[in-house]
Amino acid sequence: MFGYILRRLAVAVPTLLLLIVFSFLLMHAAPGGPFTGERSLPPQVLANLEAKYGLDQPLIVQLWNYLKGVVLQFDFGPSFVYPDRTVNGLIADGFPVTLTYGLLSFVLAALVGITLGVAAAIRHNSWLDYLAVGTSIGAQVLPNFVMAPILVLVLTLWLGWLPGGGWSFNDPSYWIMPVIALGTSYMASIARITRSSMLEVLGSNHIRTARAKGMPERRVILRHALKPALLPVISYLGPVFVSMITGSVVIDIYFSTGGIGRSFVDSALNRDYAVMMGITILVGALTVLFNLIVDILYAWIDPKIRY
Amino acid sequence: MVLLNINDLHVRFDTNDGVVHAVNGVDLTLEPGETLGIVGESGSGKSQLAFAVMGLLAANGRAEGSARFDGTEILNAKPRVLNKVRAEKIAMVFQDPMTSLNPYMRVADQMAEVLVLHKGMSKRDAVTESVRMLDAVKIPDAKGRVRLYPHEFSGGMRQRVMIAMALLCRPQLLIADEPTTALDVTVQAQIMQLLADLQTEFGMAMILITHDLGVVAGSCERVAVMYGGRIREQAPVAPLFADPAHPYTQGLLAAIPRIDETEAELRAIPGAPPNMTHPPASCAYAPRCPYRLAECETERPPLEGFAPDRKRACFAALDDIRAHRHRVSITADEAATAGPLEDEPDDALPDAAVAGVGAAAATHEVKQ
Repeated sequence: MFGYILRRLAVAVPTLLLLIVFSFLLMHAAPGGPFTGERSLPPQVLANLEAKYGLDQPLIVQLWNYLKGVVLQFDFGPSFVYPDRTVNGLIADGFPVTLTYGLLSFVLAALVGITLGVAAAIRHNSWLDYLAVGTSIGAQVLPNFVMAPILVLVLTLWLGWLPGGGWSFNDPSYWIMPVIALGTSYMASIARITRSSMLEVLGSNHIRTARAKGMPERRVILRHALKPALLPVISYLGPVFVSMITGSVVIDIYFSTGGIGRSFVDSALNRDYAVMMGITILVGALTVLFNLIVDILYAWIDPKIRY
Repeated sequence: MVLLNINDLHVRFDTNDGVVHAVNGVDLTLEPGETLGIVGESGSGKSQLAFAVMGLLAANGRAEGSARFDGTEILNAKPRVLNKVRAEKIAMVFQDPMTSLNPYMRVADQMAEVLVLHKGMSKRDAVTESVRMLDAVKIPDAKGRVRLYPHEFSGGMRQRVMIAMALLCRPQLLIADEPTTALDVTVQAQIMQLLADLQTEFGMAMILITHDLGVVAGSCERVAVMYGGRIREQAPVAPLFADPAHPYTQGLLAAIPRIDETEAELRAIPGAPPNMTHPPASCAYAPRCPYRLAECETERPPLEGFAPDRKRACFAALDDIRAHRHRVSITADEAATAGPLEDEPDDALPDAAVAGVGAAAATHEVKQ
């Protein structure tokens, strides 16, 4: 098992290198650049700017310099658009925010989703089942850019309970709406996956055996059915976790939370090469890591999987 | 003293195609220590009968009637009552050992939990006892293998584990639902021998559900033959084989291939089992029956005693059936008129396998 983890981590290095090279080249292949605006700059100014950021050099040299900075110094370079900011600084500022509401949202979505899914499966075709299925379909078709303004309308403008935007690490009242708006549709998907996989497991032969052994229904569910029922849920949760903690542009814009979700989209629009690369690498590394964690969890749950 | 008394048991399933009447009024009794065989083709309701008694019917299934175990009503009983009976008094071994064990738990854990739950043993004692039981079902190196997962055992070994698990609480009754169907022939014989040995050793009663008459002949004292959710003939094993009193039993016996025969073709009962979504009000076997009389098409024959310990549900004269004991197959003309019920053989039961149906129908085609 440890050998397997080491091998997987070793494979992660070339994976990330490939990711860097491809996104670097794609980014530069797109027309325009960080300094093309509505009003074109005088050629001399443009040349000076490009020389300052090294954009006048051949692409392969730029790539080499970038890789050197990232690998040797863990330095993602300066922002091309905000002269006083570095990418490391931008991520250090924005990522803790995204991580906080993303993590909370993930935990909430997973707990509520799994509980709802299991409850619906146990009470299959009862009012509880219909309620759970109805709720999750409703929550899933309600995108977060609709959910967010509704939350602000009700909780801030009508009831005045919560601040309508902004962020504070000291005041959890700022966290509530981002967490709900981000987590709802994930919660709905988790509930649906849990429900259908639980239903399938409950109809399987080994559950009949557990019942024939005189096990109380609680034990049949928790000890015999839950583990196999969670397998498909876990493979869904891995990528969802990464996309939740790396933030959402919708949440960052509606609630002015200042997370990296917004920086990512802005950087793409502004051709802020360094910021875009920095966040791409962050998301890529987290994805590789959590796919590995999902695979390890799989082996832990299913004894037939051995690495 | 009667150990198990089943009275007018009905099992129905609500499906999208209507109500499937899987079991239609079965009466059975079982004495302590007795071995009863229940035979019938796929879809005859024999497994659902057992599931109903154990409270293991699928969610869309309903049972009606009565099943008293040792005087206690267990049919549709509360979970608390049922869970005291399951494993402790009545244990069950299932058809498919590949999927009937929990693949995510070590054998030690899934066996020990039975004793921890029912006998209040400590985990350590429960595992020790489980190893002893695995020894009893002749699993070599039980002490080492108890730590393994089910997928690390072969099919036959898994069925041995199932049997060991069923016997942990020394039940008074073991229901074995086609325990050898999924196993290859040499292993089948070993498992049947094991069951017979353990039954003697523990002095328990056994209900053996099977479609294999050879298995019944080798291990049962009494046999009930089921067709269309009803018992058609019930007799001690010797007279049933020597002197079948129901045309269906006779047909089943005639279909057993014999080693001393030169005929290349296997014999089958022509026609297909009845569609249990619309069970006929007359004799369900009539369309396939070579002894069919006028009243067979309109009335249902009751199960009646005709000799000590022997019952049958048939209008045809006993002498007539006996006279044709060696008649193995009906003629092509008669088979042709057996057609109408073949249309929807797959509706026979909701989720039970109806594999036998296709085979019977296919042979029928060849004969014509």
